[in-house]
Amino acid sequence: MAILELRDVSKSFGQGARRVDAVREVTLDVDRGEVVALEGPSGSGKTTLLALAGALLTPTAGEIRVDGDDITNYGGQARTRYRRDRVGFVFQGSNMVPFLTARENLLIVGQFGGADRTALRLRADELLEQLDLTAVRDQVATSLSGGERQRVAIARALMRDPSLLLVDEPTASLNFELGVLVVDALLSEVHQRQKACIMVTHDDRMAQRADRLVEIRDGRILADRSSFETL
Amino acid sequence: MLALVEIRRRKLQFGFVTGVVGLIAYLIIMVTGLGLGLYEAAGTALLRLNGDHLAYAANSNLSVIRSRLSDADVAQVQALPGVERASPIGYVAAVIEYAPEESDTAAIIGVIPGAFSEPEVVEGRPIGGPADILIDRSWVRVAGTRIGDTLALPVGFQTREFTVVGIVDQGYFFFQPAMFVDIASWQDLVFQGDAMEEPAASLVLIQGRDLDGVRGEGWRIVTKQDGFNNIEGVQAQQSTVDALRYMGLLIGAMVIGVFFYVITLQKVSLLGILKAIGAPGPYLVGQGLLQVLVVCVVGAALAVALAILTEATVLASDTIPIDFTTSAMTTSSVSVVIAGVVGSLLSARQVASIDPIIAMQQQ
Ligand SMILES: Nc1ncnc2c1ncn2[C@@H]1O[C@H](COP(=O)(O)OP(=O)(O)O)[C@@H](O)[C@H]1O
Ligand SMILES: [Mg+2]
Repeated sequence: MAILELRDVSKSFGQGARRVDAVREVTLDVDRGEVVALEGPSGSGKTTLLALAGALLTPTAGEIRVDGDDITNYGGQARTRYRRDRVGFVFQGSNMVPFLTARENLLIVGQFGGADRTALRLRADELLEQLDLTAVRDQVATSLSGGERQRVAIARALMRDPSLLLVDEPTASLNFELGVLVVDALLSEVHQRQKACIMVTHDDRMAQRADRLVEIRDGRILADRSSFETL
Repeated sequence: MLALVEIRRRKLQFGFVTGVVGLIAYLIIMVTGLGLGLYEAAGTALLRLNGDHLAYAANSNLSVIRSRLSDADVAQVQALPGVERASPIGYVAAVIEYAPEESDTAAIIGVIPGAFSEPEVVEGRPIGGPADILIDRSWVRVAGTRIGDTLALPVGFQTREFTVVGIVDQGYFFFQPAMFVDIASWQDLVFQGDAMEEPAASLVLIQGRDLDGVRGEGWRIVTKQDGFNNIEGVQAQQSTVDALRYMGLLIGAMVIGVFFYVITLQKVSLLGILKAIGAPGPYLVGQGLLQVLVVCVVGAALAVALAILTEATVLASDTIPIDFTTSAMTTSSVSVVIAGVVGSLLSARQVASIDPIIAMQQQ
């Protein structure tokens, strides 16, 4: 069963002549344990699609379901709670609170309420270990390397055991070898924990590693295939 | 957690602003203390007189220095309905040499010995004769005079010796330590024994009801507080001090406001990320306000510590009219905290209005 279901989702910005249709009638399902690579040139609507799935934006038309719940018209507080409990985000740029250590950056999600802090502490240590971060767990975020930082971001996204991971260009600031390490860590977590994941990338070599490849152009889905077909 | 950890890890920035807030709070405490000290020096001795109304000469414009009342005036006031007790009081300033080449001005107040207008002695005994004098503690601190010592008061071109028989705790009169003598001796001091012109008193101290505004041909009655407020310079002094205090609070509010505005600006994208991953807006605003409170409270505590230190060292000599009371320190500290919170409201609004979508828009 699909964890994320997008049905004819559209999003436009602005009015009249200045109107931009960033996402047009997109229908897309992402299953449990599946990493979908979303690939497309700059400006094709990848980030907007991710923001819609993460309830950071409201669609202009269409419907979005997560775990069967229609999140399309969630109000402010419901959105905040949805993002806190059911979505894990990894952003493109800086993800960290700069003055906190790696471990504190994971525990920060316990501050937002609705979680058992003891359980979170155990979980943080487990994730740090699995993502090979134990050695740097007490280092301040600003002293971590780019690869370490992105792995901390993946760990933080998994802290509250969300259904859905939304990852925007996680390797944008890394060289190829480090990028592969980060993407493979992400894949292994998603498979092992049976999450649904959309990973935005414009790097083919990263996209190939995903379970499925969705290509987007001008806000429309151009192709949707299991990535091994392209090999 | 976020707020406090940030303060701990960014000690330099927060330490700096806390120091600045502390200095501003210290300044406010000093100014408040100065206001209080000046207020007391202006005439605690008048406020502590054991009565509720004062009669002044009608043409004196409520100036104690210019007020001169005759026997007839005093008798009229004493006979008024509503007056329970009334007793004449004299005032004159006198330069007293208390050691070779060392002199200071005192306020010599004449009272009828044994009347309700005579202040209570805290040490020694009350006035018993024409050469007895009671001196205030503030004089003791300055001049070191003790019971049994004699003080030479000027009468015309000569001096007259008075023996210190008691010490009182009445404070200042016109910025001069108060001293009390028999009103008959006061008349000698003022008029150098010229019995022809001798007035009875400067003022009449009254205990009674419904007397405010009552006037006769040569006199008028006001409340004791009105009399105090009309002491030359009291009001101008207090409004200057108040203006300085409000200025200090305004500067404090602005320093806090600008500092938090700038550090909020620096953190906009971080706050966007935190909101995106589920931090409720009110939580982040609360963390910001917690930082403001920490900075203001620590700053105010520093200021209080500094003020106490100042009092113990610089002000111990007691010649500077700064008076630190617990209530002055509390009021000043609380106002600094309130000013800080008000100053940071702009930042709070800014934090509340950050749209989490910016987490995805950064490159
Ligand atoms: N807030 C916005 N206001 C106006 N236009 C926007 C906004 N966000 C994105 N867009 C436009 O939508 C299109 C898709 O943007 P985006 O989803 O960021 O693309 P990608 O992530 O694939 O580079 C672009 O043309 C972009 O300029
Ligand atoms: Mg993008």
